[in-house]
Amino acid sequence: MRNVFSRSSSLLRKLLAVILLAVTLMLVDNFTLWLKPVYSAADSLARPLYWIANIPLRVQEWSANSATPRSEIESDNLRLSKESLIYHGQLQRMSDLAAENLRLRRLLNATELLQDSVLVTEVIGVSANPLRHTLTIDRGTDDGVFVGQPLLDAEGLMGQIIEVHKRHSTALLITDSSHALPVQVLRNGLRSIAEGSADYNRMNLKFVSPTADIREGDKLVSSGLGELYPAGYPVGTVLSIASEPGDNFLKIDIDPSAEIDRSRHLLLLYTSRDSAADAAK
Amino acid sequence: MESDNRGVAIGLTLVLAVILSLMPLSGDWIVWKPNFLLLVVMAWVIHWPNDLGILFAASVGLLADIVLRMTLGHSVIAFALCAGAIVLLSRWSQYLSMLQRTLLVALIISSVAVLEASVFIFYDRPSGIEHLPLKILLSMLVWPFIDRLVARLQPKRG
Repeated sequence: MRNVFSRSSSLLRKLLAVILLAVTLMLVDNFTLWLKPVYSAADSLARPLYWIANIPLRVQEWSANSATPRSEIESDNLRLSKESLIYHGQLQRMSDLAAENLRLRRLLNATELLQDSVLVTEVIGVSANPLRHTLTIDRGTDDGVFVGQPLLDAEGLMGQIIEVHKRHSTALLITDSSHALPVQVLRNGLRSIAEGSADYNRMNLKFVSPTADIREGDKLVSSGLGELYPAGYPVGTVLSIASEPGDNFLKIDIDPSAEIDRSRHLLLLYTSRDSAADAAK
Repeated sequence: MESDNRGVAIGLTLVLAVILSLMPLSGDWIVWKPNFLLLVVMAWVIHWPNDLGILFAASVGLLADIVLRMTLGHSVIAFALCAGAIVLLSRWSQYLSMLQRTLLVALIISSVAVLEASVFIFYDRPSGIEHLPLKILLSMLVWPFIDRLVARLQPKRG
């Protein structure tokens, strides 16, 4: 009997020591940057594991491509050619509008708007922690990636780069609960903050008063305030609006435009502001 | 020699668990993904409660925090608590049937997960508690495979 009790007390002592150590680590991790090199080294070491973990997905893609009949590929090719033609036509019209916009801005002595450039990147890993929405992409300092750089998919804003390594980087997604970005309603320019909710298909719109002009289905774009994300990129669509009696603000759910948990090929955005900053350096 | 073999077997199962944890799933599924590393650690501790206990679990918890990018110390506590409970019940757990062991593991994981979620809720952070029942159910489904794998990989005693 004495053996059982001494075993339990030794177990308890070990457990308390481990918990104390873990709490210390949590404090150090939350309030200092001392452990950054550890994460950086671990990220580089874990890269082969990400590659292995992606094998089933690659095999699935490869088998889906191999199994596609030739006629389907040909019809896809034709459809894409037609789409490309349509987009080229629209782009020419956009160029016209951009040139006119530039002329008008010059007349007003306003700052010139320059074109944003992009770099295609591929997702090589996703966070295994469902409450932490991050992605690992296959571009790093070698490709000129920098912390704070916006990331897009074909549909809208995805997030921003938070860590850069030599050949890969980590991006924080806009749906992460620690992420917020300034947005505006495309219809009337109403400004607000879109906050992540730890759900890949939902975001929340903060600080919108009950008297504000906002409706379900309204499109939201980045407002450019805060100078992190450039203005005018799609962020989401208002999904539902609820008003609780006594609350100062509306409870608004947003459906993100980007396919946050599905897109594999993304775009890193180099804005005119980045180019200007580089030139200044 | 025996401990060398066991070290290799532990290493292999941990690498496999990390790969399974990193395997990308779409958003609808990722919230229900079992914590493979925790299950592997629990399986090893159940089979070797005298040699692999809290310190082993805490070390793997630290590895999980680093590789899976969680706040350092978070998994250390969760893994150590689970291992502690198993070591405490080790005199009985070795005689349990697979079904009883599965239920025991589910109970321990649920208790620690609820404790973890309560801390998140206290700090007004998303806890994911609504996904917990299905996550536990999936963990119970994969547990027999992990338990058998660990039982097969461990070197014969004596």
